[in-house]
Amino acid sequence: MDFELKYSPEQEAFRKEVRAFLEANIPPDLEEPVDPADLSYEQYLMRRELGRKLGERGWLFPTFPKEYGGGGLPMELAVIIEEELDRYGLSLPPFYNTGGTLGAPCILVWGTEEQKRHFLPPILKGEVRVWQLLTEPGAGSDLASVKTLAVRDGDHYVINGQKTFVGSLHGADWLWTIVCTDPNGRRHENLSWFMIPADLPGISMTPLDLLMAGGEGGASPGAKYTVYFDNVRVPAFNLIGGENNGWKVATTHLELEHGGAGSIRRNRIVDRLIEYCKTTYRNGRPLSQDPDVQDLLVECYIDAEIGRLFNLRNYWLRHTRRPRTYEGPQASLHRKVSGLRIAEAILKALGPYALTNDPAWDPSGGHLEVFHRASIVATHPGGTIEIQKVIMARRIGIGRAVREEAGTVV
Amino acid sequence: MDLALTEQQEMLKSTARAFLERECPRQLLLELDRTETGMSPALWSQLARMGWLGLAIPAEYGGEGAGLLDTAVVYEQLGRGPLGGPHFSSAVLGALIVLECGTEDQRREILPRVASGEQILAVVYTEPDYGWGPESVKMTARRDGHDYILDGVKLFVHDAAAATHLLCVARTDQGSDPTAGLTVFLVDRTEPGVAVRTLPGFISGLGEVRFEAVRVPQWAVLGETGVAWQGLSRAFLRAIPVLCAYKVGGMEAVFELAVSYSQTRVQFGQPIGRFQRVQDHIIDIVNHLDAARWATYEAIWKLETGRPAEASVHLAKAVASEGFYRACNSCHEVHAGIGVVRNYGLVLYTKASRSLYSYLGDPKFHKRRLAAALEL
Repeated sequence: MDFELKYSPEQEAFRKEVRAFLEANIPPDLEEPVDPADLSYEQYLMRRELGRKLGERGWLFPTFPKEYGGGGLPMELAVIIEEELDRYGLSLPPFYNTGGTLGAPCILVWGTEEQKRHFLPPILKGEVRVWQLLTEPGAGSDLASVKTLAVRDGDHYVINGQKTFVGSLHGADWLWTIVCTDPNGRRHENLSWFMIPADLPGISMTPLDLLMAGGEGGASPGAKYTVYFDNVRVPAFNLIGGENNGWKVATTHLELEHGGAGSIRRNRIVDRLIEYCKTTYRNGRPLSQDPDVQDLLVECYIDAEIGRLFNLRNYWLRHTRRPRTYEGPQASLHRKVSGLRIAEAILKALGPYALTNDPAWDPSGGHLEVFHRASIVATHPGGTIEIQKVIMARRIGIGRAVREEAGTVV
Repeated sequence: MDLALTEQQEMLKSTARAFLERECPRQLLLELDRTETGMSPALWSQLARMGWLGLAIPAEYGGEGAGLLDTAVVYEQLGRGPLGGPHFSSAVLGALIVLECGTEDQRREILPRVASGEQILAVVYTEPDYGWGPESVKMTARRDGHDYILDGVKLFVHDAAAATHLLCVARTDQGSDPTAGLTVFLVDRTEPGVAVRTLPGFISGLGEVRFEAVRVPQWAVLGETGVAWQGLSRAFLRAIPVLCAYKVGGMEAVFELAVSYSQTRVQFGQPIGRFQRVQDHIIDIVNHLDAARWATYEAIWKLETGRPAEASVHLAKAVASEGFYRACNSCHEVHAGIGVVRNYGLVLYTKASRSLYSYLGDPKFHKRRLAAALEL
């Protein structure tokens, strides 16, 4: 067993190549806004451009097959790309793209060869940005009860309905959407997925005014919308995974969204908090020397480390194709509940300072205030705390003769 | 033993509830929350007409002389709103400080104007080394002839932007005993050298107040110089349970939101309230609510009947601050997406639970005080 990522000379050579590429291609004025809601259109376009350049080399989806526009790289080299991006505070992809990160694996597992050749290259090369559209006003935790309806009409489907709490700032090219294709069908046997061009006639959207736009799986969208479909005609070719087979496709999608994707990144908030407490003086000494504050910091540190380990384990499980059961939702659950604990600990340690982003009084530059709001919101996108527990229980086999299996992922 | 409200108090409660429902619809509360003061002149006049700005002020000074319990009954309903703005800072905490620290002349001068709403007080106490004990007041007032000169920064001051007058607590004597040497100054907010700035963030009505060589005359000293802590601590002790009652009202509203949503939101073919994990959240909320409610009202009873009340007051504030915070979190778990839509209203309570968490002392502060009161 070895927790340290070790690199061969060839891998270190690859790192040099990646580092040189990023140095040459990450614009000096690329900034990570503290509040994702502040991402400007110009900054968004820079991120898309970086995505395209990574995509040209297969580095946007490094482990995906080369023939569809991926990098065909082993986990060890994919890790290097992520580590090097992380030095800039960026991840893969460097913009909100849930319909890509979750939709592309679904197409790879469930699509026909023709669909893979048509839909995957633009996603994997970073030419399109894709939103996932799952939640509806009447279907949140109970995703299988979606009512947005797709009715076959010749070689098209006609889609009507609405999706809510979806999307991100600055629009999308495609919409990866789960709909009902048989209103009279049995539960779990009446759903289908479509990859829908976002500019089709009949699609409109309105923004939501939220405490914070929560990210599914932790991605930062900056804004959320309600998307309306009014007699939208979508080619039948865009139905992925077979009519009424959508729940099976969803198991792949949800497995990845519910933490199964894993990550090598660590949550920076606790590092920022510790730095804050070491450098901020209250009552004549650094906050970090107050024994009560130390207790709180250590609790936060433990939460961050356990979260990092769960994500690291899941990344390893995924990319070494090892069997998984409850590990995905476990990481997701931990992220959600530890977020609430950390936010409360910060308020206890710092007092009202934790809640203001005033430049004169907030040495964190707004990060702690954003984190406080984000921790409240983060408990539900991509499945509530309760849903993560339900899935864990089913996978462990509590109260069931047959254990539920984890969705197929790539 | 009788834990019920009197008939009159029940009437007061239903009058207050009806007023809030009629005059403070959710849309108005959302609009007020976006203002700097959290209040509109029209609503402020209405509060004055209802007598609610004089609840804590004796009749001889133009108030209602309502007593703490009646005041708490109204504040529970204000918390249900939740109606923000400077009413607590001015008409409860500020008025009690004037009552406890001021001279007879000052009481007669100031309190009727507070009760009528014409004068709005903010209590300018906390500083960058944030805290509510006497040792946390470090700003000094320097003697200059017959005047005092105020210089320094006060931070996380509640409702300063809405106030006409500031009750600024500063140190006029340095000594080894932190409870000695504190003085309260009544300062016009528009006095040259006074700068008030509301702080941004997930808080309402908290601000920074800067004093730059602000000259205040001797008559601006509330009561006597250097002995304010005794009066301040008595005022804090009486004001805290009223603030707790506000939080109790907030928790009650949050509880009702959670119950109602759990009964009407259908997922998996049934109301989500049928799911035990959802039930757990609602049970947590009602436990926080009841703990805070009974701790608050027992503290008030002890204060009103002249019993030793310190331990109960500290207990109530610790329980109510933590309870309100956690109840809001639990209510968000019950609601998920819809709960963070600003227009839904839950966020107003969540923000209040954060803004008021540390007001008059955070849970840790009160737990320490409780330990001291228990002679641990």
